[in-house]
Amino acid sequence: MNIRKITTLTEEITSEGGHPVDPPARVVVVAAVIENPWKGQGFVEDLTEGIDAVASDLGAELAPRVMEALGTELEAYGKAAIVGLDGEVEHGSALIHTLKFGNHFRDAAKASTLLPAVEKRAAAGAVFDIPLKHFTDATIRSHHQTLEFRVADAPHPDEILVALAAAAQGRPQQRLAPLSTEA
Amino acid sequence: MQPKLQDPPAATTYEAAATRLGLRRITTVRDELRREAGRELERPLRQAAAVAVLRNPWLDEGLEGDLGPATERIAPILGKLLSDRLIQALGGVEHIEAFGKAALVGLDGELEHAGALIHTPYFGNIVRELLEGTSVLCFADGRSTAGADLRVPLWHKTHATSRKHYQTMDVHLADAPRADEICVIAAASDGPRPFPRIGDRSTDRPITTEILEGLLS
Repeated sequence: MNIRKITTLTEEITSEGGHPVDPPARVVVVAAVIENPWKGQGFVEDLTEGIDAVASDLGAELAPRVMEALGTELEAYGKAAIVGLDGEVEHGSALIHTLKFGNHFRDAAKASTLLPAVEKRAAAGAVFDIPLKHFTDATIRSHHQTLEFRVADAPHPDEILVALAAAAQGRPQQRLAPLSTEA
Repeated sequence: MQPKLQDPPAATTYEAAATRLGLRRITTVRDELRREAGRELERPLRQAAAVAVLRNPWLDEGLEGDLGPATERIAPILGKLLSDRLIQALGGVEHIEAFGKAALVGLDGELEHAGALIHTPYFGNIVRELLEGTSVLCFADGRSTAGADLRVPLWHKTHATSRKHYQTMDVHLADAPRADEICVIAAASDGPRPFPRIGDRSTDRPITTEILEGLLS
């Protein structure tokens, strides 16, 4: 696995809608920019070899970093794969939609739900949104949230940007009734 | 226009004090560059930027208003909050070699409002002292809609002419600055550009416009 760059984003939201958020809401992203393991190989029918070479190591690299950046108990999480223009969306999906990748994060976060994800192909510097949901019950409405992210010079056409996102709480000033109370 | 802050918490921390003064969010970004042009760096280059998004305190003041009082209240606290985050992101002040600053004012504000929060000693001296530098802080400023991307310039914190430390960091601001907000940014890095090889003042020969004559065949 060839990592060119790792970018960490930490947000501390201290007020929203004119009301203080106390303690500040904390949301983080850690993104690794790696060489596409299938770079220059044309259409590869069986992606297993590349997945085995990268997915678990990448999950192991990112999971502790995102937990450290969060610095407290995790309550919501998500992930992303942005494939450079020479690759297939399937390449990004291959790396993040496998338990070999996601279980590192789930274990570190003591989580049980599937990680919501964004996967797309884009030019370097593309802005994308990472969806986050509650870490043990994906129906908990207060924790549905999204984080906008961008790395200016990534992914290059032959790279993949893979990111994990974590939140210590639901949305700031969340005040929707639980799903179960809706008629 | 966003509503004014209701029921701010007591200011026992600089974060709470800043929130009372209109702080909405602090965003910290750290880039760790490991490879460049296909080659691994001897040690990764780490750059960090910390961004405070706050309400513009001068929207109702007009050109006759005095920018001083709010600057004196707000800028030192921002300098402290942002410097603390840079030091943490780069693993200690002793690792910080280069620094810079920036401010973007939202569309309802004046460029002078952005300048007020970064171009006075109430911000610059605080950042310089906390990051243990002596150089003037290089900067970018401007007015922008939300969703801005800007490049924050950095140079060496004690040797501003160190050419290999000339670098910038890209910062993306998502939902800021809103029209009634200002984004104040401090940035730092722990080393020079990857593989610097364009010499320095000490290696330059004297260059004047006379060299232009030799460049036409």
